[in-house]
Amino acid sequence: MTLDYIAIAILSSLSTASILLIATLGLAIVFGLMGVINLAHGEMIMFGAYAALLSTRLGVPFPLAVLLATGATALFGAVVEILIIRRLYGRMLDTMLATWGLSLALYQSAVLAFGSVTPGIGMPQMTVRIGQYGVSAYMVFLIFVAVSCVAGLFWLLTRTGYGIMARAAIADAETASAIGIESSRMNTVTFALGAGLAGFAGAILLPVFPATPSMGFALAIKAFLAVVVAGPLPLSGTVTAIGTLGTAGGITSSIWSTAAGDLFFFGTTILILRLWPNGISSLWRYKL
Amino acid sequence: MNSSVFTSRRLISPEQMLGSRWWWGPGLAVAALIGAASLFADPYLAYVASSWIIFGLLGLSLDLVWGRSGILSLGQTAFYGIGGYLGGIAAINLSELAGGTLVWSLPVGALAGALFAALVGGLIFYSRIGTLQATVLTYALTLVLWTAAVSFKITIGDAVVGGDNGLSDIPGFVSFTGEVMDPKGTFIVVLTVATVVLMLVQALLRTPFGTILSCIRMNPTKAELLGYDIRYYQLAVFSLSGAIAGLAGALYGSWSNYLSPSIFSPQEALLVPIYVLVGGRGTLIGPFVGAVVVGGLSFWLGGGVIGGQTTLIMGLGLIVLVLFLKRGILGTIMDVIATGQGSIRLNRTGGSVDDHASSLKIDLAQLRGLVGRRGANQPSLRSEGAVKRFGGVTPVKNISQSFSLGRVHCLIGPNGAGKSSFLRCCTGFYRLNSGSVFYGKEEITRWPMFKRARAGIGIKTQAAQVFDEFDVYTNLWIAAYRHHGNAAEAHIHSEQMLRMLGLMAKAGKPASELSHGEQQWLDIGMVLCTAPSVLLLDEPAAGMTGEETRHLSLLVRILAQEVVVVVVEHDMEFIRTLDAEVTVLHQGAVFAQGSIDDLRKDERILDIYLGRREHVRDL
Amino acid sequence: MFEICEATGGYRKTVIVRDVSLTVAEGEIVALLGRNGVGKTTLLKYAMGLTANFGGRVILGGASLAADRAKRAKAGLGYVPQGRFVFPRLTVVENIASAAVACGHNHRDAVKRILSEFPALQEKAHALAGTLSGGQQQLVALGRALATQPKLLILDEPTEGVQPSIIDELAGTLLRLNRQEGLSILVAEQDLDFCLSISQRAYIMDRGTVVKEATKDVLLADNHLLQNLLAV
Repeated sequence: MTLDYIAIAILSSLSTASILLIATLGLAIVFGLMGVINLAHGEMIMFGAYAALLSTRLGVPFPLAVLLATGATALFGAVVEILIIRRLYGRMLDTMLATWGLSLALYQSAVLAFGSVTPGIGMPQMTVRIGQYGVSAYMVFLIFVAVSCVAGLFWLLTRTGYGIMARAAIADAETASAIGIESSRMNTVTFALGAGLAGFAGAILLPVFPATPSMGFALAIKAFLAVVVAGPLPLSGTVTAIGTLGTAGGITSSIWSTAAGDLFFFGTTILILRLWPNGISSLWRYKL
Repeated sequence: MNSSVFTSRRLISPEQMLGSRWWWGPGLAVAALIGAASLFADPYLAYVASSWIIFGLLGLSLDLVWGRSGILSLGQTAFYGIGGYLGGIAAINLSELAGGTLVWSLPVGALAGALFAALVGGLIFYSRIGTLQATVLTYALTLVLWTAAVSFKITIGDAVVGGDNGLSDIPGFVSFTGEVMDPKGTFIVVLTVATVVLMLVQALLRTPFGTILSCIRMNPTKAELLGYDIRYYQLAVFSLSGAIAGLAGALYGSWSNYLSPSIFSPQEALLVPIYVLVGGRGTLIGPFVGAVVVGGLSFWLGGGVIGGQTTLIMGLGLIVLVLFLKRGILGTIMDVIATGQGSIRLNRTGGSVDDHASSLKIDLAQLRGLVGRRGANQPSLRSEGAVKRFGGVTPVKNISQSFSLGRVHCLIGPNGAGKSSFLRCCTGFYRLNSGSVFYGKEEITRWPMFKRARAGIGIKTQAAQVFDEFDVYTNLWIAAYRHHGNAAEAHIHSEQMLRMLGLMAKAGKPASELSHGEQQWLDIGMVLCTAPSVLLLDEPAAGMTGEETRHLSLLVRILAQEVVVVVVEHDMEFIRTLDAEVTVLHQGAVFAQGSIDDLRKDERILDIYLGRREHVRDL
Repeated sequence: MFEICEATGGYRKTVIVRDVSLTVAEGEIVALLGRNGVGKTTLLKYAMGLTANFGGRVILGGASLAADRAKRAKAGLGYVPQGRFVFPRLTVVENIASAAVACGHNHRDAVKRILSEFPALQEKAHALAGTLSGGQQQLVALGRALATQPKLLILDEPTEGVQPSIIDELAGTLLRLNRQEGLSILVAEQDLDFCLSISQRAYIMDRGTVVKEATKDVLLADNHLLQNLLAV
């Protein structure tokens, strides 16, 4: 017990939180840089998961399949932005409804195409051992993935022309346009980025979450709540929100049940929103 | 409610659809048609059609909050499912006591839905969570219940809630005589319940409560500035919609005799906004039309062909509806008919389409009766060391200023001096970072906007704020109603105000069609209708003609005898006519005070206006 | 060089400026004067394509400008809005870089050039713009507009809420840009002294139209005019 157990418990809750973070980042980026809540985010994760699954079935090595899935979902996101999101500019609630429709259309398409259950690809059989306890190496690897994602996004949004312009456009679209920034182009790229991140999440989590048509709903509940709690800052807000909510929910679900964990997650969300109605990061002064 | 003159209008708002009654005809005809067809032709159709009416009722619950109150809830099926489960449990356990099953399940279902919605709504509205966030929360709630219901098992009396297995053996529609009703009887009962609920909702929305809800949808800030506690109204309508959804759920439980956790599924939830959008948002009867159309289509076309693809088609359908069919079936019909009627009217009146240019005829003789001092104590407004910061900018640096009865008070100063920001601190739109605000002897620093408005602080904001879709009369009436709490007195008050503003001929015109200057007057009229003791006017003369400005000056001077008036203005001629006590603000602080002529002699003030600094010129 | 022809513009259905024409010659600094609410800001927004256009044209370098906002910036109009509107969660450097990148210029060069132009910003280079004082934000907004490498700089109330020492720096910078790089400038102001310290010619607006065009000397001589059209 004692030290080993605590170490392994910390490691496993860190990896659980990392999974949630990986699944949330795309949604958070789209909300933070476009002000749009993409209710089809969960299904875009599923899209990525199936894309990766099909690629591996065709013999593509897993790492390459992850890249392929990311690219395919990003492309899909760009198409969705041009065909749907762009036409609803300034109508936030209608945007949500349209993405919701998309969410269920994608879900049902997956049911029709793949049936409701598909075999997983199995987790690499490696274990990290601490004393007498062990945890799957892939779960530990996911912690590294989550950290890399956050770091990579921070780099993309603070060091590249696209990132700086996208942040300028969400801060003040009118002024941004008056200095030459074309916000509609920024939005297409941002939405594609968010979709790509979702696709990446679906693919990289494939060994942990087998691809099923309804996987999106399961992953999306917590992602939606985390984004609302996080508020306008997509990185610092989301990391903090998931740190708090994920830990609270994780502990509850390990003591009682997954459903209890979800309910607790929901309850904590409401409590936090009572204190910060526009999310915990609404008053923070950070870049992201 | 009113008998104002209706002139031609181009766009029909939901409220106006409600007011005109013609569509009762087609609405009832559709219902009767289905009724007749099912009753006389096909018991199975009668059975299926009952469910369409139930879904229509569920759609109505969404239309009430979304179409009328501007809150998009994706959680209506949560209330629906909870009402269904609890209503079913009640029916299973209690029906044998009193025969009729619905007597138990319907009230329990409605109550459960209402309480649950009140809990969720209370958290959303009293925390003042944003609309987008509120929508996400309602959706997450549905998904959480969906996962929870799958594993939730409990036995209550004879009722067994079996997680994934759901709740079975819910008694069907049983009459008091103990007979189980046939599909036709079931249909008639469902149709009756739905009609009663629809009529009750329509009746409710015709009361001031409904008018206030519409105001909150159009402009929540203005509604609160008039003194309405918008949280209360939003919570009330959200709970009511929960009750209707719960009632529909209880009906559904009895109709199908079985409930499973899939009632909470997103596939179910998705259908609700589709019914509303197909039928026409805000029309209340639209969701029934939508449910019948969607149900009918899948009944006659569906079955084997699209069975597996229903969700796919619905999902894509929602996208198409949102993108293209903005007004729904009823809305589109209404628009067509309105255009027809409008053109006929125009022809009759000789084609005077637009009389924007006509100026107002302000009749100040009407004013005396309209303004009365409230209570015996002397009203006053005072700030002490008020500070408001935004990031690195501090629009209000340190303002200690007192306004009391007597001369008109004017606030002037160059752009960015903090005049509007200071007024916002007084109305509660901004919360101070430090310092305090007093109203009379009471400290109101922490009071929310509506409480300050009720106490007697009224403001006409810089840009005129009116309820666009309502006519001029209703705009004034809604303000007067908050003050009087009585429809008849509010009517008298607003008619008087209409006469004073000379807007009688335009009483039936939507406020959005007024000119800039007319909207300013309407806004001033609305504020006056709340009978304020302290009146804040932010650039009231902007957009007014010279004639109108003279009227305004007279109006302000008369008002100043009874109430504390604070005017922010740039028009110096206007200020001169007010014979006012002028306060000059500069960089968020009081710079100088006096009469306009004193200040004119003060070189320092010319300096801050003209930015005179000797050293600049030498560059 | 720059011309606004018979501009009629406003918001939604409301006309705020009516039939306004003005010109700025190559290398000239022109002031647009008038009290609050006479339509100066609306006219400048009209020039940038940010309001409804009910009539009229904007011409730069002989060519009529397209309605697209972003294209106007790229064509050579550099805009400093009233109230500055720096991007609060971008650093000073990022604010400048965003404009440079948007107009297709190298952002490193732009940042280097602007920071050497405004030494006061150097120590704040990596601070979030939202945390700066009003005057520093004004410099950021100006630097941002300069990063687009404009042919004409349009400034809306640059002295609003700015402490005197920075107003001096602003005036000095604008004059230097004008003299050394031949930058043309159109500046809307209430601050007469600031305007007169940099410009030779001014248009005076009242109630949505230009009511007078005057040279610096005429304005300085006519106290009555100042009192009536510009001040208390």
